[in-house]
Amino acid sequence: MNFLMPDFYPAAAEIFLLAMACVILLLDLVLTQKQRWIIGLLTQATLVGCAVITIMTASGQVVLTFSNMFVDDLFADFLKLLVYFSVSVMLVYSRGYLALRGLDKGEFYLLVLFATLGMMVMISASHFLTIYLGLELLSLSLYALVALDRDSARATEAAMKYFVLGAMASGLLLYGMSMLYGATGTLEIGGVAQAIYHGVANKTVLVFGLVFVVSGLAFKLGVVPFHMWIPDVYQGAPTAVTLFIGSAPKLAAFAMTLRLLVYGLFELAEQWQLMLMMLAVLSIALGNLAAIAQSNLKRMLAYSTISHMGYMLLGLISGVAAGDRHFALNAYSSAMYYTVSYVMMSLGAFGMILLLSRAGFEAENLDDFKGLNQRSPWFAAMMGMLMFSMAGVPFFVGFFAKFSVLLAVVDTGQVWLAVVAVFFSLIGAFYYLRVVKLMYFDQAIDTAPIKANLDMRLLLSANGLAVALFGIFPQAIMSLCTFTLLRSL
Amino acid sequence: MDFKSAVFYFLATVLVLASLRVITARNPVHAALFLVLAFFSAGGIWMLLQAEFLAIVLVMVYVGAVMVLFLFVVMMLDINLERLRQGFWSYLPLGATIGLLMTLEMALVLAGRYYGLEAMPDPGASGAGVNNTKELGRLLFTDYVYPFELASVILLVAIVAAVALTKRPRKESKAQNAAAQIAVRRNDRLRIVSMPSEKE
Amino acid sequence: MLENYFPVLVFIIVGIVFGCMPMVLGWLLAPHRPNAEKGSAYECGFEAFEEARLKFDVRYYLIAIIFILFDLEIAFLFPWAAIFKEIVGTPGVKLFGFVEMLVFLGILLIGYVYAWAKGALDWE
Repeated sequence: MNFLMPDFYPAAAEIFLLAMACVILLLDLVLTQKQRWIIGLLTQATLVGCAVITIMTASGQVVLTFSNMFVDDLFADFLKLLVYFSVSVMLVYSRGYLALRGLDKGEFYLLVLFATLGMMVMISASHFLTIYLGLELLSLSLYALVALDRDSARATEAAMKYFVLGAMASGLLLYGMSMLYGATGTLEIGGVAQAIYHGVANKTVLVFGLVFVVSGLAFKLGVVPFHMWIPDVYQGAPTAVTLFIGSAPKLAAFAMTLRLLVYGLFELAEQWQLMLMMLAVLSIALGNLAAIAQSNLKRMLAYSTISHMGYMLLGLISGVAAGDRHFALNAYSSAMYYTVSYVMMSLGAFGMILLLSRAGFEAENLDDFKGLNQRSPWFAAMMGMLMFSMAGVPFFVGFFAKFSVLLAVVDTGQVWLAVVAVFFSLIGAFYYLRVVKLMYFDQAIDTAPIKANLDMRLLLSANGLAVALFGIFPQAIMSLCTFTLLRSL
Repeated sequence: MDFKSAVFYFLATVLVLASLRVITARNPVHAALFLVLAFFSAGGIWMLLQAEFLAIVLVMVYVGAVMVLFLFVVMMLDINLERLRQGFWSYLPLGATIGLLMTLEMALVLAGRYYGLEAMPDPGASGAGVNNTKELGRLLFTDYVYPFELASVILLVAIVAAVALTKRPRKESKAQNAAAQIAVRRNDRLRIVSMPSEKE
Repeated sequence: MLENYFPVLVFIIVGIVFGCMPMVLGWLLAPHRPNAEKGSAYECGFEAFEEARLKFDVRYYLIAIIFILFDLEIAFLFPWAAIFKEIVGTPGVKLFGFVEMLVFLGILLIGYVYAWAKGALDWE
């Protein structure tokens, strides 16, 4: 038996998170109802601890461990920090909402922590098997979270749809991976890239596997035509869970896409770019058109997610043009920037729904935002900024995100694609601005005072301001994205 | 055709027929039982491929445990068979077309050239001393230790999720908690109040 | 290797034949004269009131799911047991090979404690 002990140091954050999750699980059994606040606090402390460990163990080099199944690079560290941050923000936003609905049980925090672990595994995966296991860990926790409100028939239906379609997507992904394994003889992402580079692998089998891998990824990203689950799940799940699904997992899905397609199958870029391009155009068109018809804000934001993921894909498809690869870094960092800024906006927008919801009432319809300006000018302004940013109005963070992916598309000479994207984003602006119009020019139907914890008000304000601030200084995040990618590719 | 091929073709035929019956059987219980047969034949085929451990695990876990759960669900569930089959014929053309297309695509790619014996030669029979389970264990507990531990985390999440989604406190429960009964104090049950004596 | 499993195959075949033979013989030899009354469902002489299927308590599934999960856990123990001597005999892997299984079992033990303490194993 020939084996070297793996180096645990790069995976210290994962190990810490798992240990803390086990501690919280056992604590949940012994704490009384009155001491439950400890669990929420401990969860936040765990996330902070993970962040500290991730920063401390970041070496700036690409470190492989566990027999090349785990990779620690700056890209992973950066995304993991963003994941901790957005999960932590999500927990602050949803505390009051969950307490009013009796959902602030230990299970919620546990499942969130396990989902976070799944995302970390996905982000740090350098092996098909670890990608798959991380994905399953994340998905399994999410299915359970969606169904956590057991008395809601809508939530149960949403969980069921999510589960069935998610399982099918995992199946597609696995099937594609097995084809790639058949063609290259290895499951390591680096090894796959090597095998393709040296021309060992059969091209037809590779492309065949690629089709399934891309379909599986498209399911997880939720782009047309694999988007069917998104609106139902977003609408049916408790808003706190919708907020969770709409934020951090997007970062993990982006990491998974980048690891599989760029790290592993870069040699096939011309093939998968074509597939992603179709997905992107369809998503942008359908997402923006269907969102107009919605009267439910959660459903509208679901369709908006679909279109945003389409825009994100625009960045991924401009990496290679006619065999020229020097666009790659710019294009992929623009896609990464898009994902990061989308997560920021999505946290804020769902946070607003949570803010306006109260016991027995979900502020999930567009009508519930009517006349928000009369009730709270400050939060109306915050929501307005979030909507402007999502619509891509200058100068908010969403504008620069759209701008950078469009620039990447134009760089590779696909001007028509950029024109289509801009055209649909103009259509999309309609439904975002409609929310603004409702808030400022309509009479309030619901005049209940806004009650929320101070921490949530502060954080939500910070979130809204950040959307404006990073719009003024877009380079802050953009350069981080470029830098981490440069050091990790 | 040697004996091994004969066994393979027999098992493969049974597998295909059983799988077809799974989706065409009118009675869901029969469908579940055909699924058992399909798993069993698949296990036999894995055995022929010398993956003995996986074959036995397939039978043990899927036939022994998963299918028992399936049968539970199918036999006990209050399903309306007529409603289940509604829409079968209206979905059939689309479903059949997609299925046929996928089969054709797969056949085109997989037929002969890429996965045939030339491209992927038979590794040959392993020697009498080679133990499949041991080979698997050697890999699983050294190189694959990270996925191995992740598997336990996934199982843990499954336990948490199953308990969280199905367990609810039962209000009508008449269970006795012996520990609580023994631990009861006088003060919990008995309240002594001082009352002025009543005068008649 | 496969030769070792030949007796198993023979055993399975004999089992199937032995199980099916009486049914086939019964079907062949028995008189076969069905009529409407004979074929109808018999329930104490009454017409059947309802479907035989009825909604079952979700607790059955909980028990079954927990059984599956621990069944899977056991499946991982077999290859470990098969190479245990080898693990213990190799200097560099000795402790590692032992501790990793302890961690695996420990994580699932926590799950077991959780299920137990939450009352998932109680019937009432």
